[in-house]
Amino acid sequence: MSQNRWLATGNFFTSYKQEQRTFFTHLDRTIFTCFLVLLFGWPLVFEISNKYMLVLDNILIAIVAVMGLNLLLGFAGLISIGHAAFVGIGAYTVASVCQVIGENHVIVTHFWPVLIVCAGIMGAIFGAFVGLPALRLKHLYLAIATLSFQMIFEWFIQFMSFFNQGQTIYVGRAHWFTGQVGRSEHYLFWYYIILIIVVVLGFGVRNLLKTKYGRCLVAVRDNDRAADAMGMNPGLTKVYAFALAGFFAGVAGALHAYLYRGVGFDSFTLHHSVAYLAMAIVGGLGTLNGIFWGPVAIKYLDLQVEQFSELAGHYLTYAPNVATALKPLSFGLVIVLFLMYEPRGIANWWRIVKSYTKLWPFRY
Amino acid sequence: MAHLQISDVTLSFGGLKALSHVDMTIEPGLITSIIGPNGAGKTSMLNCISGFYHPTKGEIKYKDKDLSNASPHQVSTMGIARAFQNLELFSGLSVLDNLLLARHQNLTYSFFHAAVFFGKASRVEAENRKFVEDIIDFMELEPYRKNLVGSLSYGIQKKVEVARALTLDPEILLLDEPMAGMNIQEKEDIVRFVMDIQKERSVTVVLVEHDLGVVMDISDRIYVLDFGEVIGSGTPEEVANNPKVIDAYIGED
Repeated sequence: MSQNRWLATGNFFTSYKQEQRTFFTHLDRTIFTCFLVLLFGWPLVFEISNKYMLVLDNILIAIVAVMGLNLLLGFAGLISIGHAAFVGIGAYTVASVCQVIGENHVIVTHFWPVLIVCAGIMGAIFGAFVGLPALRLKHLYLAIATLSFQMIFEWFIQFMSFFNQGQTIYVGRAHWFTGQVGRSEHYLFWYYIILIIVVVLGFGVRNLLKTKYGRCLVAVRDNDRAADAMGMNPGLTKVYAFALAGFFAGVAGALHAYLYRGVGFDSFTLHHSVAYLAMAIVGGLGTLNGIFWGPVAIKYLDLQVEQFSELAGHYLTYAPNVATALKPLSFGLVIVLFLMYEPRGIANWWRIVKSYTKLWPFRY
Repeated sequence: MAHLQISDVTLSFGGLKALSHVDMTIEPGLITSIIGPNGAGKTSMLNCISGFYHPTKGEIKYKDKDLSNASPHQVSTMGIARAFQNLELFSGLSVLDNLLLARHQNLTYSFFHAAVFFGKASRVEAENRKFVEDIIDFMELEPYRKNLVGSLSYGIQKKVEVARALTLDPEILLLDEPMAGMNIQEKEDIVRFVMDIQKERSVTVVLVEHDLGVVMDISDRIYVLDFGEVIGSGTPEEVANNPKVIDAYIGED
């Protein structure tokens, strides 16, 4: 090991365990810790309106969902256009508990962490089931199979009176150790909870990717014939990839249900599935940090476009629908531009910046 | 006692018989080669052994276990590894990860150990990493350890392919044209590796190869296939003097 653990100038490993570290230098670790402290600490200093807090919460939930989608699409190479439906499965798991035992039952309000995990497991079960066609189908055909799941989900929710035919099912307010989480701190409370979940799941994914449970995903993406010859069951691996994606989506769905204190079918439509896909692509498929860039970029764009179109609507009084037109337009434009000019996503910019700053001020 | 017994194997795709009534015995510790003109059924034979195809008739027995209907991942855990003819590597992964993937069955930690990556998962990963490093050392792949496989040259990729099969720690190694498309130096390298694999690691090698010079030099036994049938077998000298084999390769006069 190098003497200077702060700025390593090369590779000084003396055991294989040292190479397994998440952070190679103290500097990496310190920067990351500072970043986390900042994420947790800033709400204590600044106060922002509930509107923006909600945007932040939404970003974090999207990160949880995209984590699953990126594992599925980026690492395992299996296309899913039904990701919003998996998120919906999670949300409707919570909703159906509310329907059965009442929205203010103690299980819903006090044992929400259990319900969130249950929603994740439910998502995983549905994921594994929907993943079964992946045993036989590939690429575009698999995309269509998952699309059909999205359609079935929407149809099912809208026609079941148990699910209120897609209309809002209310979910009670969560309780914390200090009692019920009130209206004013609701969004802040969930910001912290979702942030913790994102950090825990993020580290979980980071660890999985270092082990056989992550490598086998990439193996079936690159060459499932060879994967078979190397002693892993490619079919099972694909089903496992779908289950994993379903788990993350389920957790995201349950968080969505608690955050909005209600579940309605229109948050889990095909449009949302495509949006998740866009976040995964813009962030960078098959990379860990892309999981975080994508949702931030897309949601930030949404916010900016909204403000811009408000402004535009102010001047262009004869065209009041500018806002509704601009949002899908910018969304589509961003996806097309990324696919054309940076198919590896924002994660690639991050890589370039990192390798540049590593050597700065020297050129090589 | 035969290591791998192939008896009366027939493989047909519809009306086409890729293999008909093939009998082979792979003796332990030897290099057995399978040769034959293009389309003779050599790769089909390997596919049958490694589980990608299932013979229409006949059986393949390995240590009293029937391989005829086993899937590739079952065969690989029984100790039969296979290197592919057309590079079938995981091109998005590094050489190291490619080899670690072949340790899949030996990484025995559970999913939750993996997610926490503490204790058992970390220890088992490090142990298997050591095994992989031995193979990297053996196959002289040290400079390319961290390179993406897709970025390596063809010759190196072929070596990685052999190394990956070797990482499964097999008793029988099936090599499908490991020297195809290589120049003379690279061929000599691979021949050296094949012989080292047999001698130092005491692995039984089954070699499918077009380069007859190499095959005659290093094989202990040779089977000659033509149109899916075994037309000759035995030591290199016996095969070289077999009139049927000469006919198949040179043609009748």
